[in-house]
This record gives sequence, C-alpha cells and structure tokens, in this order.
Amino acid sequence: MPGILSLVAMLVLWVVVARISDDPRTMPGPEAVAMRLWQITVTGELWFHAGMTLFRVLASFALAMAVGVALGLWMGRSRTADQWLNPGLVIALNVPALVIIVLAYIWIGLNEVAAILAVALNKIPVVTVMLREGTRALRPDLDDMATAFRMSRAARLRHVVMPQLAPHVAAAARAGISLIWKIVLVVEFLGRSNGVGFKIHLLFSSFDVAGVLAWALAFVAVMLAIDIVVLRPWEARLSRWRRDED
Amino acid sequence: MRIDIQRKSFGGSDVLGRLRLDIRRGQRIAVLGPSGVGKSTLLRIIAGLDRDFPGSVGGDERLSVVFQEPTLLPWRRALDNITIPTGCDLALASDLLKRVGLQDQLDRFPRQMSLGQQRRLSLARAFAARPDILLMDEPFASLDPDTATRMIDLTGDLLDHSGAGLILVTHEAREPVRLAARPLLLRGDPATLHEDGQTI
Repeated sequence: MPGILSLVAMLVLWVVVARISDDPRTMPGPEAVAMRLWQITVTGELWFHAGMTLFRVLASFALAMAVGVALGLWMGRSRTADQWLNPGLVIALNVPALVIIVLAYIWIGLNEVAAILAVALNKIPVVTVMLREGTRALRPDLDDMATAFRMSRAARLRHVVMPQLAPHVAAAARAGISLIWKIVLVVEFLGRSNGVGFKIHLLFSSFDVAGVLAWALAFVAVMLAIDIVVLRPWEARLSRWRRDED
Repeated sequence: MRIDIQRKSFGGSDVLGRLRLDIRRGQRIAVLGPSGVGKSTLLRIIAGLDRDFPGSVGGDERLSVVFQEPTLLPWRRALDNITIPTGCDLALASDLLKRVGLQDQLDRFPRQMSLGQQRRLSLARAFAARPDILLMDEPFASLDPDTATRMIDLTGDLLDHSGAGLILVTHEAREPVRLAARPLLLRGDPATLHEDGQTI
C-alpha cells in the first residue's frame, strides 16, 4: 500500500511541476507522455525498438554472466590466477563505461558485435568480483566430502559448487540487468540505428522531452516486468531448500 | 591397503611421527587418543584429503568416509544426498535408507531432519559407496548417549552386512569394544601408534 501511495505522490508532484513550469515542451505533463506512449505502442514502433534493445541486453547479459562467473570461480579457487588477474580486474573496474564503448566502436567497428561486447566488458569485472567473493566462501567440508566420494568435476560443479554460488549469481544477475540496460542505451545512442537508445538520440536532437520520457518509461516497465516475472521466481526457486517446511 | 607415513608437520612442527599400518577388507581398527593428538589428521591422510606429507597411502581398496559432522548437501533431498555423491542406483539408496530407518524421509531436505537423522543419512551415504574400508571420524560425538549407542549398533550391523573394514577415530574407549574393533592408541609428540604398550 505505501508503495502505491508513493507512486501516486510522484505522479501528483509531476502534474504540479508541469503546471507550474507551464512549458509543455521542456516539462510535459503525464497526460502528454501517456499519449505518446499510446502512439508508439499502437504503431508498433515500441515493440520493434524495445525488442532490439532487449536483444542487446540479453546477449550482453548472457556473455557477461558466463565470462564473469567463470573468471570469478577461477580467481576464487586459484591464488595464482587471482594474483595474476587481479591488477587487470582493478583497472577494468575503474575504466569509464564510455571509454570502453568508444574504443570498441573504433577498434571493432560500428556494428552489433562491438555494441554487445562493449556492454559485456563493462559488466564482466563486477560479476567477477561478486563471484570471486562467493567462491572464497565455499564450504571446505563439502569440498572434502566431494573429494572423498570422488565426485566428477561436472557433478561437483552442479551439485556442490553452483548451489552455494546461486545467491551470488542471482545478486550479480539482478544488479547486472539494471546496469546493463542503462549501458545498452548509451551504446545505441552512440552508434546504432535502432533500439530505445537510438530513438532517444533522435528525440534529443529534436528536443522532444515527451518522447524521451515515453520511451524511457516504456523500457523501465519492460525491465521491471523481467525482474518480477523471471528473476524473482528463479531466485525463490533456488532458495527453496532454506525453508524448514515444504 | 598399506599406510606408510614418515611424518606429518604443520608449520614446521611434527604432529605425526613414523606410522605404518596395514588393513584389509573386513578388518576393524579403532584409533584412540585425546583431542588434538592428530587423529583427524591421520584420517584425512588415509582418506586422500591431505597429500602433503612424505610417505604413501596405497592399495586397491575402495574407501568411504563418515565425517565428524554429517556434511550433507543442504540443497538436495535425502535420497539425492545418497545417489549424487556416490553415484549408486536408486534401489541401493532406498534399501540403505530403510536400513538406517529413514524410509519416510526420502523427500526431506537435511535441515528438515534432526541431527540424529542427518548422521544416519551420512552413514547410509558412506555405505552406498560400497566401501571395502569405511573411515569414520568421531561420528558418534555430540549425540546423546542413547542415540550414540543406537548409531554404533547400526554401524556394526551395516559393517556385518556389507563385509567392509573399518578405521574408526575416536576418544571414547567403549566404541571399539562395541564394534569389535582392534584398539590402537595414538599418542606422543609427534604422535605414533601403539598397541598393548608397543609402538607399531
């Protein structure tokens, strides 16, 4: 209930600010934005561009999670790997997203590979750090058990290691998806000819604030839906065993 | 199998001295000694969990371990806790669960079970690996006396039934008596094995 009230309060605040400013071009009210949202939905424009953006989000998310989990696991397990890779990791964590994007476009070209790679490269260091911490906290007694029963590497990874890392993977995934879609918009803004970021670029050029807000809100809704429909149920399923009763 | 340890040291000081021990399938040995003398270290070496020592542990015997704590996979149900680590089939797993009295608990997660039940599950898992020699590290510690006695008798039954040998590490003198295991004493600094007052 407080959540809904808070949303209503924000909406009221928006209406009031729009009225006071009395400048629909720079500060359009909710009704103008809703109109635009309706337009881009019925013309199908929203689905195409949001679809392209979503594709880039998912591709770079999958790449970042796969590489980040593997690197984090490796660095958490092996001191040597950690000592060799850590300086690079610290540098990577501190390179601005924009620098990676610009360099990827210059070195690889203004194409899809560069776009997805640039986004993934921004996210990989964060996933790596989270998974390295998780790996360091793996239970040594279960490791001994797996060794004593000569479990295969695959069985060990699946039944002993991954269940312990699942909360860390889920946390990295949820933190990741919100970071990634923001970077995807920047990537599209700078060098793609479709997607929500590209649309915002066009609307920015024509100073169309209502359009910018409509696209932003639409995409926020899509990402929230993914969080609620996919990520949260998945997290809940993974932690089933923590409950005392079925 | 033959266990031949020249010494085992931690941080420059020797914990275990020269140790030699032969054991075959069907033989039962208990290693007795006070806490901190190096019993668990010895068992870890025999189990292959610690290879950082001069000497060798060799033989074709299949080993299996019952740890001091149940050491179960909390995210897998009781039945899976037997089949996944050991790779045994469902029939053997359910048979063993029945023998340890957990036939009604197949679908439970470990934390839904009592400590006594978790220990019996851990015992069933160890036998599911079809060991020639079972290694046990103070498996009856921290159980109340009645439960401990029942666990010891259950272990004896399962050993009789499977024909497996036993290396039991404990500080309780009554356990080897009840399990008909040959008692060896681990003592000294660095610790060595003694039988009837003789170093072996």
